[in-house]
Amino acid sequence: MSGHLVDLWGWSHALASFILWLLSLPLELVNWISFQATGGPAPGVPGLIDFVTGEGLTAFVAVIIAVNILLLWATAFHLLIIMWIERKMYSRLQDRRGIMIGLGSAEILRNTLGRIPLIGRPFRRPSHLGTGFLQTVADGVKLFQKEVITPATADKWMFHAAPVMIAASTLMLFVAIPWSDGFWLMGAYESRVVNGAPAVVPVNPWGILVVLAAFSIAPLGILIAGWASNNKYTLLGGMRAAAQLMSYEIPMLLSIIALVIYAGTLDPFELVRNQTAPLTYGLGPYGSLTVPWVQNWYILNPILWIAFLVFFITVIAEAERIPFDIPEAEAELVEGWTTEYSGMRFGIVFGFKWLRAIAGAALIVILFFGGWSGPVFMTLDAPNLAASGSTYSIPILFQEFWFTVKVYLIFIVFVWIGWSVPRVRIDQILNIGWKSLVPLSVLSILLAALARGTGWF
Amino acid sequence: MVDLEVLTFLILSAIEVGAALMVVTAKKLVHNVFWLAVTLITIGAIYLLFRAEFIALIQIIVYAGAVPVLFLFGIMLTRRKIMEEPHESQ
Repeated sequence: MSGHLVDLWGWSHALASFILWLLSLPLELVNWISFQATGGPAPGVPGLIDFVTGEGLTAFVAVIIAVNILLLWATAFHLLIIMWIERKMYSRLQDRRGIMIGLGSAEILRNTLGRIPLIGRPFRRPSHLGTGFLQTVADGVKLFQKEVITPATADKWMFHAAPVMIAASTLMLFVAIPWSDGFWLMGAYESRVVNGAPAVVPVNPWGILVVLAAFSIAPLGILIAGWASNNKYTLLGGMRAAAQLMSYEIPMLLSIIALVIYAGTLDPFELVRNQTAPLTYGLGPYGSLTVPWVQNWYILNPILWIAFLVFFITVIAEAERIPFDIPEAEAELVEGWTTEYSGMRFGIVFGFKWLRAIAGAALIVILFFGGWSGPVFMTLDAPNLAASGSTYSIPILFQEFWFTVKVYLIFIVFVWIGWSVPRVRIDQILNIGWKSLVPLSVLSILLAALARGTGWF
Repeated sequence: MVDLEVLTFLILSAIEVGAALMVVTAKKLVHNVFWLAVTLITIGAIYLLFRAEFIALIQIIVYAGAVPVLFLFGIMLTRRKIMEEPHESQ
């Protein structure tokens, strides 16, 4: 069994206690001076110290810290890496190298560190041989420096409110998506029986539903952004985006319902726990067939393949990626509903499409590819400082690693599909959504119900 | 000591009633739809306060997610102009 490295709530709580302890130090000093001067505590100060270091305030600060850690994890870590992966991947598909600005491209580093005989070798390379990772950082800095322009005829209030709605609904996706058994924001620890042994595990009974609710708020913000810019291109892009997101939400919900009927839970932790068991096919009245050494990923079950196909396509459409990126068809609509936004506001509305793609990929991994389960080859036994005599085993390949690798692999498939196929026309998009995907997802519900009812698969 | 739940409920209710008043008094139709969405999402939050998580989420998926967008489509497909022209409003 693999272990998790991050314990988000434990870490946040420890950090909150530390910060509040630092804050209480001046109060302790005041108290100490008061004791030296008068022989008694300063009036009101001991109560204040109790409040500052007390459990209520600590829990409150811990919530804020946990939310911020998750926010940074989503935007500062995943967003930069996913942008870099996308740009390198599609450059490779177009038979070129893509962005290559790296640390070695900086003149100042080449002239200083590069002069050092042996160590400076990476900084002496020509500027076109970098990995290009710093290009995404440079683009972010550039967006921060640009002027924020509000169009003269725009509806100012709505124009400013729309990016907030889009950003809020996108970040709401990340609230409910857990990244491992310890790295989650929404949930609680409960005692359950897991694989025949009692264990304390995280549970979140409505996790998948929260993600779907967050996906369903997005079209409103996009439509309002397109309308408030008061521009024909943005309005057309907003209408297309809203029509597309609305019509692809339905097969998405239905295909998830198929999986939920099969798995019997909406809890992402429970879904992943189910998928860590050995692969088992039910054979109806003839018992069941268990395949050893293989994990019970739902993608390995033929009854769910239609649901997986529908869900995969709808996730691409919800993230507005290329076969379904008609809302921002740059050949006809300039930049779609994001046309009038500039500066970091453009960065938010445009970059958060990548965040939606990451969230969609994470959802695919949780639902079909076993989540953060994976083999662990080694654990490092370190002495546990809290309890002497016992050891604390640190996994070498921890759950967050497996989950991130799987999410990035799914995202690479998104990029691969996106830059290999042409853009689909808007009426064709709606036809695919309503005439193909909805019936297919209903069929997958039927199949899942049949499998549950008869005991086969 | 203030009961935090009652306080939260009062704040949410104030937002909801205010947004509901804005639905019927705002001048532009798209603003009305925006305030309608605010009202519906706040109702979802109040359900959450009552510890009815499932109905809160369904409220957000069905009402806040679908109904305002359908209203917006209706408005945008039936009205001739998307906003007042600048020379008409001056």
